[in-house]
Amino acid sequence: MNNEMPWWASETFWKKTAIWVTAFMFVVLVILTLDTIPQITAGSERVPAYAVINKHIGYEFNDERNMQVPVIGGDAPLFGKKLSEEDAEALVSHGKKITQGRNCMGCHTLLGNGSYFAPDLTKAWLDPGWSSEPEREALMIAFLMNPEENARSFGSGRVMPNLHISEEEAKAVIAFLKWMSSIDTNGFPYNFTVIDKES
Amino acid sequence: MLEPVELKDFFIVFFSGAMVIMAGALYSLLFAWSKLQSKPWLMVLAYLAYGILFIAVLTLGSAAHLHGYWWWLVIAMLVGYLLAPHGIWKLCVATHLIQKPTQTDDLPHSKKLQSKL
Amino acid sequence: MKLNHLNGGQQLAVKYYTVAIILFVAQIIFGLLSGMQYLVPDLLLGVLDFNVTRTIHINAMIVWMLYGFMGSVYWLLEEESKTEIVGLKLGNIGFWLLTTAVTIVVLVFLLIQSGPGDDFTRWFINEGREYIEAPRWADIGIVICMLIFFYNAAATFMKGTWSGISGVLVLDLVALAGIYIAGMFYTPNISIDQYWWWWVIHLWVEATWEVLVGCLMAWGLMKTLKVDRKIVTTWLYIEVALMFGSGILGLGHHYFWIGTPEYWLTIGGFFSALEPIPLVAMVVHAVYDAGARQMKGNNNPALAWLIAHAFGNFFGAGVWGFMHTLPQINLYTHGTQWSASHGHLAFFGAYATIIIAMIYIAVPYIRGQEGIGSNLPDGGWKWKWSLGLLNLGVVGMTIALLISGYEQSFIERAVGGSTWYGYFAAQIHPWFVQGMEWRMIFGLVTAVGLVLLIWDLLTIGKQKQA
Ligand code: HEC
Ligand code: HEM
Ligand code: HEM
Ligand SMILES: [Fe+2]
Repeated sequence: MNNEMPWWASETFWKKTAIWVTAFMFVVLVILTLDTIPQITAGSERVPAYAVINKHIGYEFNDERNMQVPVIGGDAPLFGKKLSEEDAEALVSHGKKITQGRNCMGCHTLLGNGSYFAPDLTKAWLDPGWSSEPEREALMIAFLMNPEENARSFGSGRVMPNLHISEEEAKAVIAFLKWMSSIDTNGFPYNFTVIDKES
Repeated sequence: MLEPVELKDFFIVFFSGAMVIMAGALYSLLFAWSKLQSKPWLMVLAYLAYGILFIAVLTLGSAAHLHGYWWWLVIAMLVGYLLAPHGIWKLCVATHLIQKPTQTDDLPHSKKLQSKL
Repeated sequence: MKLNHLNGGQQLAVKYYTVAIILFVAQIIFGLLSGMQYLVPDLLLGVLDFNVTRTIHINAMIVWMLYGFMGSVYWLLEEESKTEIVGLKLGNIGFWLLTTAVTIVVLVFLLIQSGPGDDFTRWFINEGREYIEAPRWADIGIVICMLIFFYNAAATFMKGTWSGISGVLVLDLVALAGIYIAGMFYTPNISIDQYWWWWVIHLWVEATWEVLVGCLMAWGLMKTLKVDRKIVTTWLYIEVALMFGSGILGLGHHYFWIGTPEYWLTIGGFFSALEPIPLVAMVVHAVYDAGARQMKGNNNPALAWLIAHAFGNFFGAGVWGFMHTLPQINLYTHGTQWSASHGHLAFFGAYATIIIAMIYIAVPYIRGQEGIGSNLPDGGWKWKWSLGLLNLGVVGMTIALLISGYEQSFIERAVGGSTWYGYFAAQIHPWFVQGMEWRMIFGLVTAVGLVLLIWDLLTIGKQKQA
């Protein structure tokens, strides 16, 4: 049997194709990455600077984009203290390190990624569960420091265990959560109800 | 622009999405089988499976609001799944041409297969 | 056990396979615990919280699969390179280093669990990022062990002969190790964090791991069905082109909602919709191969698990992946039990199966036999039942999670707007709770299957064949 193998079925053709396809796709990915990273660096339009925690943050429907988007409003300093960009970054960073060290992602999702045992924290800062904006900060501190006694569970019996978060740690975590809620996530989570402005 | 699926269409989206891939596989399977066994009637079933795929893609397209440039995805799936088994089959036959003579002896279908390239 | 009749690479492989199975057991035990915590919220509360049991569940999985892959490569190394392994001692050192590191990490996860929000915690206790929770020192240790492994493979092929399969394999290992490094840095910015985190997770399981098992499959087909080398090599290249052609930019299906620009909705939607194509292509090829030659395998369990791999990969990755990959629907399914349903079927179907097949290929040689005959004294009931129970268990869990996930995407996401209250409205819904109950029942089926599997691996072919 000595049939001629057509060129498009030969080993060398597919070897070259595999190499070129992989290289091409990888280069495209690198170019897209170079375009994306500046757009998600803190201080960009989609991912605000850390000092955004000095401002009021809302989440409103935008007709043009057909989705809910974060809206940065007037001054509303977290815990009544206005921070410089560096101080805000240090606080948010401390908060994020706490979420990593306590492995919050082992129960919760952040930006929808993580575990499914507890509510998504992407917009936790805006959650109506915190009663109203004037009461929010105090309730959040109390909950994080003592989640078992402040449990809601809504009939599920499931509670967040006490993770021994101090008041100072709770404040850093809340700064991180507030900052995260200002990220433009293309309308995720969908149809989210925002906390009341007044009590 | 993204138009999210409507609540009432959830099930349709999941179901038609699963059907796209399953009918795609069934079509490929029947297609390859029909060629391999020289049974043309299986080819009728194969294209029937493709017909299911066709309907599933269109259903998915309308329920998931694949309008505008998203329509191209619908076209790509319709054409891509139609042609892929043909291409892969041709590749199968052509790549197996080099099978050494001693080994081809115990390949009952190899002679028939070549005539189909 | 005497292993002197095996070649050096194979002796190493036996070690890796052994640890892989032990970690598989750990994965299942901790999976059962996390599953129970959904049903009994007080279970081990404050002792081993859900985040601890879950972290061990998924980390044990990643690590046992890596052990399985390394074992498989060591198993075929000398045969494929036609020479002796260059660094047997080094390979042994690497094995013990890695195993010590894994043991320490698991003990720290179990006993210390968490730490304050400082750099020490991230370096020595827990990094707190799903799948790569291992602290930084262990990351570095893992990379060193991977480099030893990589050196052993590459240098052995260098000394002996290269083939198409070994070429793809070695390049793929470079990519696999390189991608891991993308996850090894700290940033306060959660969007950038998750951008690179997905490089590790997605580009592992949907690109480099798929190609790695493609190499194993190519080699397995040559071994079990005596397919011509040139043909399997050509098909390996075709698979690489299709996998990387769709999978690299398919990464975009994780960039819909993490802060990344809107064009990712389009890129992720289009390219990940193409990802099932290589899996469908394999269907045609498998039919061709099965029909064009008589199946006279001398290792039925291995062949059966290879077939389970083909189906599992197709359904878990292809069908279950496609169902939630378009952004129009992923908006509601993102981060629900939907993802868990897909994750279980895909990881088990695509990867657990083929590693089990590779172990079955090795077992008769370890016992000094040529193959596993079809006339086992007990009719082979153990391998047949373990195959059946493991697959039934995982498929059952997948469907149970699918029902819970469907309900969750409805009640929590679409109607409830993903608030704290909306989340729990979905969690207490009867569909959800029943889904969790059935997941446990099928989880137990899976566990029984695993016990049988181990029993079978330890005994198959030990008695004289009838
Ligand atoms: C062992 C699992 C577990 C871990 C770990 C965990 N949580 Fe929770 N979390 C829960 C559960 C369960 C609830 C719901 C509690 C309730 O309703 O009473 C919850 C609720 C919350 C809420 C309120 C829900 C909302 O939508 O706003 C916040 C905020 C929160 N957790 C933050 C954190 C942070 C920050 C960490 C890490 C430092 C963390 N959690 C770690 C299980 C966990
Ligand atoms: C004994 C049976 C098992 C049980 C009871 C079980 C249970 C669980 C639970 C409760 C979770 C956490 C999901 C959540 O966050 O809500 C989980 C996650 C996971 N399990 Fe299992 N599991 C089992 C077997 C397996 C097997 C065999 C595999 C694969 C080989 C596997 C792979 C995974 C993966 C990949 C995740 C992460 C999913 C995600 O984040 O989306 N599990 N499992
Ligand atoms: C063997 C291959 C695959 C494996 C092992 C796998 C595994 C997983 C796992 C474990 C997750 C959950 C990640 C997390 O913890 O957040 C996931 C998510 C996802 N996978 Fe796959 N997958 C595979 C192939 C595919 C394919 C081919 C597709 C598309 C066609 C796909 C589509 C998705 C999508 C869209 C998500 C995101 C889910 C979400 O939004 O939460 N996967 N995959
Ligand atoms: Fe992915």
